[in-house]
Formats: sequence, C-alpha cells, structure tokens
Amino acid sequence: MTDRTTTWTVPQIWAGRVAILVAFFSLWEQVAARKLIDPILIGRPSGIVTFLWQEIFVTGSLIKDLGWTMLGTILAFLLGSVCGVLVGMVFVTRPTVEALLSPILMALNAMPRIALAPLFLIWFGLGIGSKITIGFSLTFFIVLSSTVAGGRGGNPDHITLARTLGASETQIFRKFILPSAVPVIFNGLRLGLIFALLGVIGGEIIASEHGLGQTLTVLAASFKTSGVFAVILLLALVGVCITWGMTWLENWLLRWR
Amino acid sequence: MNDRAPHSMSVTSGRRGSVALARVSVNFGQLLVVDDVSLGVAPGEFVSIVGPSGCGKTTLLNFAAGLLPSDVIRGSYLVGGAPPVSGNRDIAYMLARDALCPWRTALENAELGAEIRGVPPPERRQRALELLDKVGLKGFEDAYPKALSQGMRQRVALARTFSLDAPILLMDEPFGALDAQTKLQLEDVLLSLWQREQRTVVFVTHDLSEAVSMSDRVVVMSARPGRVVADVRITLGRPRSVRALQKDPAYHELYSHVWTKLEEGLSP
Repeated sequence: MTDRTTTWTVPQIWAGRVAILVAFFSLWEQVAARKLIDPILIGRPSGIVTFLWQEIFVTGSLIKDLGWTMLGTILAFLLGSVCGVLVGMVFVTRPTVEALLSPILMALNAMPRIALAPLFLIWFGLGIGSKITIGFSLTFFIVLSSTVAGGRGGNPDHITLARTLGASETQIFRKFILPSAVPVIFNGLRLGLIFALLGVIGGEIIASEHGLGQTLTVLAASFKTSGVFAVILLLALVGVCITWGMTWLENWLLRWR
Repeated sequence: MNDRAPHSMSVTSGRRGSVALARVSVNFGQLLVVDDVSLGVAPGEFVSIVGPSGCGKTTLLNFAAGLLPSDVIRGSYLVGGAPPVSGNRDIAYMLARDALCPWRTALENAELGAEIRGVPPPERRQRALELLDKVGLKGFEDAYPKALSQGMRQRVALARTFSLDAPILLMDEPFGALDAQTKLQLEDVLLSLWQREQRTVVFVTHDLSEAVSMSDRVVVMSARPGRVVADVRITLGRPRSVRALQKDPAYHELYSHVWTKLEEGLSP
C-alpha cells in the first residue's frame, strides 16, 4: 500500500474500515429486522453470527466440511501443479514433445471443465476423488502454460554465457532456465490454487457427501439464507488466507526480486 | 608508432594464451561480415579491436569462444593453438551486458563461472571473495543485483570473469553501457587486475579513448565487410592509470593517429 497524499495514520485507516463495515452490517440488520426486504432473500447479520457460532463451536459441522473442502483443494492443487510444472519443463526442453502434445492439451483445456464434472462424478463417485479430479483439471493447465511461458522467458545472455563456460544442458536448465522461470510459474501457482478451490466447491455443489459446497446447496434448498451467507463469508476468508499465504511464500522465495 | 605491427604469427600460434587468425573470412549466408583478417595476439598481450558498428568485431570474439558454426568461416583461427570450441577452459568471455543472475547474490554471481567449470566450493568462494574485494565491492557480497548500480553490476561481472583461471579473456564492449565517470573507474579496475596477472585480453569496443588508454595494440577495422585497416602499437608506459592519461599529450597524439586510421576505414 503506497502512501501518496494520505494524511491519515494507519490506526485511523483501520478505524475507518471498521466503521464502514459496522455501518454496512447495522444497515443490513435494520433492513432485515423491519422487513424492508424479506430476510428470506437477504438473511440477517445476527442470523449469520448465530449460525457460525452454532456450526463452528457447538456442532463443529462447519469445521468438518471446511476440512473436506480444504483437503480436496490442497490435493488437487498439489497434483495439478506438480504435473503442470513437470510437463511444462518437458515441453520447454523437448520441443518435439511439445509439438506433438500441445494441440491435444490445448483442445482439452478448451473444454469447459465444469461440464465434465458429471462425468467425473460417474467415474470417481460422490466422494473426494471426483472433487480432486475437477480441481486438478483446472490447476494443471494453468500451471502448465505458466511454466512453458516462464521457461521460454529466460535471458539469452545467460545462455551465451553458459555456453562460453561450457555448461552442460542439465546445468543450463538447473542454473539458468529453472530459476528464471520461477516468478512466472508462481503466478500460475497462485491462480492454480484459487482454481483448485473453485473446482472443488463446484464439484461439491453439483453432488457430494461432504464439503462447504454441499453445505451451501443444502442451506439454499431450505432457504436458510443467513447460513448461505455464513458459508460464503467463510469461503471468502479462506480465499483471503490463500492469497495472503501465497504472497508471503512468493516474497520469501523470490526475495531477490 | 609503427602501423601494421609485425604479427609474429609463427611465434605466437600454438602457445597457451595466444590467439592467431590467418586470412579469416566470415560469411553469414550471402553477407560477408569479416574479410581476410590476419591477426596475432601474443600471450599476456592486451589488444583492442575498434571499428564501426557491424564491422564484425563481435563476430571475431564469438568465433574465438566457439559460439558460431564452423561452416561460416574460411581461413585458420587458433585459440591457444587449437581451433575454437565452445566451453574452452582457456577462455573467459565477458559480455556487453552484465548477464548477472538476479536470483544470486554478488558473491554467488562472482562464483558462477568457476562453479560451472567444476572448481570445488571452498576454492571458488575464496577466489570470488578476493576478486570482489579487488573490484571494490567488499561489503556487498550478499547483495542481490537489484540492489546494485549499473557500475557495481559490471564490477561483479568483472569479478566473475577474472575468477576463472583462463589465460585468455575475451571482452565485448564490457563498459559500453556505463556513464563516462564509471567507465574510467572500471577501466582502471580492469587494468589493475590485468597488470597483476598478465593474461591475454582481446577487447572489442567502439570507444577509441578506451582502446588507446588500456591496450598494448589497437587493431582498427573498416566498415563491413570488416578488414584490418591499421594495427597500432600503443607506446605508453606501464603501469598506466586511465584517469591520469586523460591529460597526457602522448596519449592524445596516439588517439588522433588511431582516429585518422578509423576515418580512413570508414571512407571507401
């Protein structure tokens, strides 16, 4: 955050932010309480808080579902990004393989993945397997294309220098191509993680035994609008944590930038 | 001041640290880049090649470093008595741009060349630390390139080049992108490093003052196709300081002499 002409101090800014949120939620609460808009449509902040309290600290069911969703997301992300980086690196170092496979993979990537979800459900069942597959199918292609882009974006001077030094192909790859590709690959990883979450939630909404997506459908089907908002709030929080965590990791890994 | 200094080809060729070109021509397809160049560089000699853009001076260096395919060349080109190959351990190449790895610290960058050539870690670290000290970067060992100025980055590149124990240094306008002051400083750094170790330097530049102030000989090339127009021995004493030379009349006399030769080469 850049300080340009702001005359507010950091605590003042935070106080302002809290004030805006308090005003927003108070207004929401009042509108719902006076039934200016039907609470069935918009829920109630107090209802959201009650729901969260109940489901997190009393029954614990929300935590369990969050656990299922995160497990699916992390496995989908790990599988998808590891495969994406490996295949991407093969493409960078073996142009023939890329020429052979690239169009086929492009065609696969062009398919709307959510449309394949019913198929994955038939193949892998209602459990976590089908969710991981959907998340994987999204993450893999994102990480693959960023790896290929990163592997191509090296500095030609580095290659010239490496050749005059007599570097082997392996050395050129390990000491020059791979490290220079990391920043671009990281952009793909960041996006890939968000898409893994999206794929898992999407799969859970369509059909599932567990997970926040499934909770969301059940709540919406029974018009528990406050509960729906509570789950959405929780998901937003997860999204913020993911972004924050990835930024931290990136800053640490790429501290030379 | 004798033009066309004796090449002493028979003496220099075949010795470690020597570079010998006999009637070398280079064609890129239909384009004749270098035309019938003969040139001998003795071990320990500092020779600059000057000439207008596109006269093939960088091509000559790239050739010595084994970066070009052998089918574009005619004539004989010997580096340390053998035909050029890429990765020749007798050669250290310094490019116009610093080519530092941004993800490596100054020290790790200075070590890079020795690392790739398989020098054991303690030895190459020791050498890199010494050289960073000599190029004036003591205290900046752990700095990443982003934190260094252009001049400091080029100092790291100098340290990386000198930390290889190659007897022949090929330099392709290494100071071309620097401002005048920084350039003078780095020229003196280069001279002091070279005077300690007396390695062969082939230095390509289009800056005449740089060539005259540092070299034992200045080879002037014509516009494309590149030919040797003059080979001027620089009779200034050693050790030299590039900054002190700026006020030396003998230096200015040599400078204007080389300048005349360069102009002759430009007009067909």
